[in-house]
Parts: sequence; structure tokens; C-alpha cells
Amino acid sequence: MNSESLVLETRDLGYSYAPGKFAIRHLSLGLRRGEVLGLLGRNGAGKTTTVRLLTTLLPPTEGTAIVLGQDVRHGGRALRARLGVVLQSESLDFVTVERNLTLYAFLWGVPREAAAARAEEMIELFELEQARHRKPWALSGGERRRFQVARELMHDMEILFLDEPTVGLDAIARRRILRYLRERARGGLSIVFTTHILHEADMLCDRVAVLHLGRLIALDTAESLKLQHGGAREASMTFTTPLEPIPRAELTEELARRGATLIEVPGESSSPLNRVAFRSEHAEELLPWLSHWAQAHSLEIERLAVEEATLEGAFLGMIGEAPDEGDRAAGETGRAGGTLPPGRMGGPP
Amino acid sequence: MRIPPVLRLVIRNFASNLDPLTIIIRFGQPAITIVVLGTMFSSIVSSSVTGGTSYTAFLVPGMIAFQMITGGVVAGNLFWLDRRWSMVEQIFSGPFLRSEYLGGLVLTTLLFSLVGVGVMMLVGLPFIGLPSLSPVGVGMVLLTVALGSIFFAGLLIALGTRLRSANAYFTIQSFLQLFVIFLSTVYYPITSKTPKALATIFYCNPLTYAADTIRDAFSGTMGMGAVEGLGVLAALAAVAFGGAIWGFRTLDLGPIQ
Repeated sequence: MNSESLVLETRDLGYSYAPGKFAIRHLSLGLRRGEVLGLLGRNGAGKTTTVRLLTTLLPPTEGTAIVLGQDVRHGGRALRARLGVVLQSESLDFVTVERNLTLYAFLWGVPREAAAARAEEMIELFELEQARHRKPWALSGGERRRFQVARELMHDMEILFLDEPTVGLDAIARRRILRYLRERARGGLSIVFTTHILHEADMLCDRVAVLHLGRLIALDTAESLKLQHGGAREASMTFTTPLEPIPRAELTEELARRGATLIEVPGESSSPLNRVAFRSEHAEELLPWLSHWAQAHSLEIERLAVEEATLEGAFLGMIGEAPDEGDRAAGETGRAGGTLPPGRMGGPP
Repeated sequence: MRIPPVLRLVIRNFASNLDPLTIIIRFGQPAITIVVLGTMFSSIVSSSVTGGTSYTAFLVPGMIAFQMITGGVVAGNLFWLDRRWSMVEQIFSGPFLRSEYLGGLVLTTLLFSLVGVGVMMLVGLPFIGLPSLSPVGVGMVLLTVALGSIFFAGLLIALGTRLRSANAYFTIQSFLQLFVIFLSTVYYPITSKTPKALATIFYCNPLTYAADTIRDAFSGTMGMGAVEGLGVLAALAAVAFGGAIWGFRTLDLGPIQ
């Protein structure tokens, strides 16, 4: 990555909160203008510490972090004036939502007319019309979170740090915010985004950094991480006609030889004679072979399905936690297997 | 016109955290003390004890000195609430220096205390008449209250930077207020009958120096005692403010209860 195009770059960044105890260590990553970078990790992985280091709230104890061309150790006010930060913890003033927005804009030196106009825009965008005249303690958890994101957007910035901004939001509000952030990123705003909802990171982020026990263990696009670390996924093929015993034996033997774990062997344990299902770390690679095999045996494919690779699967694979069957069957991140048209997998239509 | 960051923070402090009820109670309490307690206790406390003036007239400078506690508590509470509701962290992540935030709190305190001085003067007028304060006397009164406010603000802010629970903060603050107010010459002077131990405690209390200095300014009897009082207050204010600065430099911005 050309470091000249980066708005943020860290090299071996670390923070030690006690001698020999590091919240984050050897963090080296970059952020381009207009890029959305997701920071993923378990609780205590170092995501919030990373945000605090990059926003000058904590001084690094080792390594360097250059944000908008300035070292975070010395950037101070001039640097912070170009950043926006939505904290993980709730932060609010004891005035109405509308007044909170304009007061925050005032703190940032936004002219009064511009602040009033932007407050209207944010109230509409974040669906805070009903809450406009309420004080923050009278808001629901979701409203408070929406308000907090809206408030940060009252001023201009070049990099926006969002520390779990969608906690407690319903699906519609979440989508709306993510869509808005995506638009702002297209307009050149760089975004660092931490979340535990991996589906969100998949939707929003151009690249994803996975932190584990204070270390960066992966940094890539979500697609690439899914491919590299997605782990074994389930795939199945249904033929229009039952398989004869010889090709049936050949197929199961070949799949096993290619490292697939057979789940349904045609004709065994009440499995239909025209269907084979297996689990493999390279399910996509096996499907083209399967369709060629079917063609070679003059078999017509009725249905070809492969479980969709998810970022959650990749994440669990990376931190060494095997996904369980419950995760596979359903879940917030949409782990349930997606059915792909045969053509997409390279098989016959 | 671009407003300096410190002033923006002061305006925000007033706009966000000081609702009318708080302001009325903060100023109303000492005003009521002058009018009600002063009048009632006048018949009990002999004027020979209070240097020949009525107890109410004695109480007015005491309540003016009391404004430094009012102002200090306002700053301490503002900081605590900002910390509790993560506004300290939010403001520190914006275009402000920690020193500006601290400066904003101190300025808020000073404004509050000095307005309080004006209110107490107005309330006290019917009892003491127009005090024959010289310009030096006015300066002494204002400087005394300002230094005292900085002392209490610094003390409570330093305390607020160390504590992690609202219960602990408000309990200690109430405890401090109670002892500082009652173990001072705000309500009662040190006389020949005052037990020595109590007098010693009184003299360890900055509010005593403030109340005595203001009384001296009001009576036009300022001497070396007043200057010494100011010196003690200035030293204490410097120590407490130093504690607040140290607290800010080492402040853990993590969540608190």
C-alpha cells in the first residue's frame, strides 16, 4: 500500500497499561481516504484501546501512529479538530436532543445557522423527530445511540471513528446508519468502525482488521478473509435421477479422497439415492469438479447448493473457535446456507 | 467571530448543566441563611461576641465567603457529571486541550462565585447598609472569593479525578462541606471563650481566612492579618489547583459508576 495515499498509518503501535501488560501490541495497519476499516475482535481484544490511541485519548507506549500526517503523540488539538469520535460509552449533556446537537456544534465552532440546518438534517436522518424536545435520559437505548452518532456528524471531519455505534439499534435504523456512512465514505470520509455484529462489518467495511488478545491477526477484505478462514462449509448436489451403485461408490470415494467429509451418502441411512452432501474447507473448488463428474457420467443436476461463507465463520476460524451447529443453522449474521444457481458455481444450468 | 475554546466550554457548562432550579437553590440557600437565620439568631448571639454588629451583619460577609464553596461545588459537580456521562472523554476527543477544559471549569466557578457575591451583597444591604468599601477592599473581597473558589474547585476536581463512584464522590463532598462551613468563622467568630482545639481547627480552614478577610474589608480594618489570610488562601488554592492538574494529567477516562 502506498503510504502517501494513507490518512492513517500505524507501525508496531502498542499500549501498555501496566509494566509488561499490553492492551494492544505490534499493530501495523493503514487507512485510505474514503475507506471504511472495520475493527473486529472479542471483548477485550483491544478495539477501544486502538480507537483511543488513534484519537489521542491515550498516548501510545510503543510504535508510531500517523493520523492525517501527524504523529498522535504530538498532534493534539489540531489533529483532533479533523477527527470525529463516537465513543462506546454513552456521552450526553443534560439538555434536549435538539439543544444537545446545536450545543455540540457550538463547541466545535460550527456557525449558528449551519448548526441549525445540520441539526434538522440529522434529526430527520436519524429519525429523532419524536425525541427532539426530550432530554437524553427520556430516550430509549436505540434513540440514545442514534442521537450520539447524529451529534458527532454535526461537525466536519476527515476521519470518523465509531466505537460500536449500532449497539441496541433495530435492523432498520442500523441499515439506515450504515447506508449513510457508506455514502459519506464515497464522499471521501475515512471511517474506522468497531463492531461485534460481523454482518455489519461485511456490509460496510472495505477492509477488516481482526484483533485478538491485543494483536492484529488479519487485515484484508471481508471476501478474502471469508475465503481464507471461512472453514469447512456444507455443500450438496441433487441429481434428477438416482445414482447407480458403481458411480455412487466412485463419487463418495472421490469426495473423500479430496478431503470432503461426507454427510449424506446416496442410499445410506435413508438418504435419497439422488443426493450427496458433504462438508469441506474447499467446497467451492469441489463443486466445479462435481459438475464435470456429473457431465462425464451423463447425469443431470437438479440442484446445487453451497453454504454461504460468512465473516463470522472466518472470524471464529481465525480466533480458533470452531463454529457450532447452532451457529450454522441460523444466526444474526445469516449463516444459514444460501442456495446458489448452478451456473454461478460453474455447473450446468 | 470565533469564540475562544475556553469560553465555548464555559458557555456550554452554563447551558448544559446549570438549570434554573440549581442556580436558585445555590444562591437561595445562603440568602435565606442571612435573612432567616441571621434575624432569628440575632436575639441569641450577643453583639459583644460579633464585634459590636448585629449577628445578621456579621453573617453577611460570612455568606459572601461561603460563595467560594458554592462555586467550588459547582465546578466539582460539573466535572463529576461530565466524567460520569463520558462528556470529559467526548470533549477531550474534540478540539480542546485538557488545560482548556480545566480552565473552563475554573472560569465557570469564578463567574458563579462572583455573581453569588453580588447576590449576597444585595440580600445583605438591608442589614448592613452600603458598606464603605474602598477600592482595595472591593479588590480584597473579590480576590478572596476567587482564590477560595479555586481552592474548593481544585480540591473537588482532584477528588473527582480519583474516585470511581458517584456515591463516594457525593458523600465525601457533603462531609467536606459540612465540616468546612461549620468549623470556620462563617457562623461564629473565634473569641477568648472558643476552646483552643476548636480555634486551631478553625485556623486550619481556608474559609476562616476568607470570612475574616472579607469582614476586615467590610469594616475597613484591613491590616497585615488580611494580607496573611490572602497569602494562606493563595497557597492553598495553588496546592489544590496543582492537585487538579495532576489529576487531569493522570485521569483514567474509563467508565465509572
